[in-house]
Amino acid sequence: MPTVELIHVSKSYGRGARAVDDVNLEIRDGEFLVLVGPSGCGKSTVLRMVAGLEEVTEGQVKIGPRVVNEVPPKDRDIAMVFQNYALYPHMTVYENMAFGLKRRKLPEPEVDRKVRGAAKTLGLEGYLQRRPRELSGGERQRVALGRAMVRDPQVFLFDEPLSNLDAKLRVQMRAEIKRLHRRVSATMIYVTHDQVEAMTLGDRIAVLKGGVLQQVADPFALYQRPANQFVAGFIGSPPINFFDATVSPAGDRIEAHGVAVPLPAALAARLEPVRGRAVTVGVRPEDLALSADGPGAALDGTVEVLEPLGNEVLVHWQTPVGALISRVPGQSAPGVGEQGRLHFLYVKLHFFDPQTEKALDGAAVAV
Amino acid sequence: MLRAPRAFPYRLLLPAVVAMLAVVLFPLLYNFYLAFRNMSLYHYADHRFVGLTQFRQLFSQPILYVLFGKSLLWTALNLFFHVAIGLFLAILLTGPIKGRAFYRTVFILPWAMPQYISALTWRGMFNYEYGAVNLILQRLHLPAVPWLTDQVWAFLAPVIVNIWLGFPFMMIVCLGALSAIPRDLYEAADLDGANAWQKFRNVTWPQILPVLTPAVLLGTIWTFNNMVVIWLVSQGGQPADQTHIMVSYIYKVAFTYYRYSYAAAFSVIVFLILLGFVLFTLRRAAPLEART
Repeated sequence: MPTVELIHVSKSYGRGARAVDDVNLEIRDGEFLVLVGPSGCGKSTVLRMVAGLEEVTEGQVKIGPRVVNEVPPKDRDIAMVFQNYALYPHMTVYENMAFGLKRRKLPEPEVDRKVRGAAKTLGLEGYLQRRPRELSGGERQRVALGRAMVRDPQVFLFDEPLSNLDAKLRVQMRAEIKRLHRRVSATMIYVTHDQVEAMTLGDRIAVLKGGVLQQVADPFALYQRPANQFVAGFIGSPPINFFDATVSPAGDRIEAHGVAVPLPAALAARLEPVRGRAVTVGVRPEDLALSADGPGAALDGTVEVLEPLGNEVLVHWQTPVGALISRVPGQSAPGVGEQGRLHFLYVKLHFFDPQTEKALDGAAVAV
Repeated sequence: MLRAPRAFPYRLLLPAVVAMLAVVLFPLLYNFYLAFRNMSLYHYADHRFVGLTQFRQLFSQPILYVLFGKSLLWTALNLFFHVAIGLFLAILLTGPIKGRAFYRTVFILPWAMPQYISALTWRGMFNYEYGAVNLILQRLHLPAVPWLTDQVWAFLAPVIVNIWLGFPFMMIVCLGALSAIPRDLYEAADLDGANAWQKFRNVTWPQILPVLTPAVLLGTIWTFNNMVVIWLVSQGGQPADQTHIMVSYIYKVAFTYYRYSYAAAFSVIVFLILLGFVLFTLRRAAPLEART
């Protein structure tokens, strides 16, 4: 049974365009679902509609068995963690965490037990009498987490909770949120624009663009079988390489900018429906190998820029099909200006319809 | 290496410095000088040093204490309603209403008008027989009020005028402070199940307090020393000097009764009261600033 369900949910402001357009989404009991997309894609709006902070223009939001469109936020059995923490500045950490419980008329010893319990879990015991301004960003966000935890909600909502933290702290808090999820096993919906956060945290990831749901899948499926060019380009860093090509009329090779690459029979069969048509080819940087000979198709290129990352190097190539980025181990990186032959494995190629930008065959064409 | 200071910049500063000395420092010092002498209409040219005589006389008469009380009452009533009305309207104006810009402009108007015009207009409106206020009261079948002749009403009339004049300032201050409150605090309060009053108590009020406090301190000093409204509405303290605050009484004593040294000594007392108030509040306001 899904814990949270969005049924044909849309949101529009005034007479303007739709911020969220006909989203259908089921979030299962105990699932960690990440809503990801570029800024302005409507992901926060979706979350806020679940929270009850935004009205639903069309469609239904269900939490558990009941439709909550008209239910005020406090009665939805949810807790939310905000990007800017939203801690009450004049209250101590303890009071911040206890505030919601006291509003719910919980007996004092019960409140105390819950607050101290959450503080212990989050390592905040020493901070209970401090005020938010005396805490660091990471500590504040832990308090915000604690405030959500003490409520024991059915659903946790996170609105870009780590965006204000520095890189190191973000990694730490990511683990902390993951631990929290494992322990409380509540349903969690998490909004972020950071695809790394999405990939590392989500059981499933929902990618949004322009208010429209693009794909919902687990991290591996999303990476390996993106439903369209947008998802393929959004997930993965450095981003996937795209270039335009044409499938030969006989279907036995693809041609791009004067380079012809023969296709094995199995792949040719898959590309049968688009024979003689243009396609967009996608290949991830790690699927481009530099070698004199090897399996798969090859392209000759010149190294333009190197970006060393320590363990590996990002190599920017100039090739007949345009600029490509490959990811190679640190020790085997070529020098700037050098020529090289790039191989890509057929099995790792993604094909998209250049008009609709949808993946051909609904997913990557695999051999 | 030190160089001899050049004279030219100082020559440029000179006119401003002279003007400041002439209109601020000299009158202040001269006021202190007069406070220890016996200058009045009788001793206009032949006034002499009398030590603390003026102060002794002041402290031995009830008028000082009565007027101090009235000044406090005047300041407290004004400030209370300035803040209450200003905050109330600011909250209404931050809410979802149509014509926000129009209302905001309308509510600022009293403040934009020169004080003396408002004061004199209100005095006309407070006229017992022909004033708009009593005419409206009578339309509503309420008794007419002797606004300018009864000593209690004659004190309340200028209070009403000054409240009318002063609330827009507090409204503007509150509007600014309210718009600076992060929206997500209210959303967190919504999720925590706080009702409207609890949101005001736990979000709005603590968030605007750091902004409101200095505004109230300033307002206190302005109001305590504001004699324009009370003087014009009560026409110099009528009836029978019953509607004075300290500063308006000092003005009357000095320039109607010509008791210069007595008025100067009274001024020194007002000066010391405000100085004490400022020093006291500055010390309390410092930690408040650190909190924000």
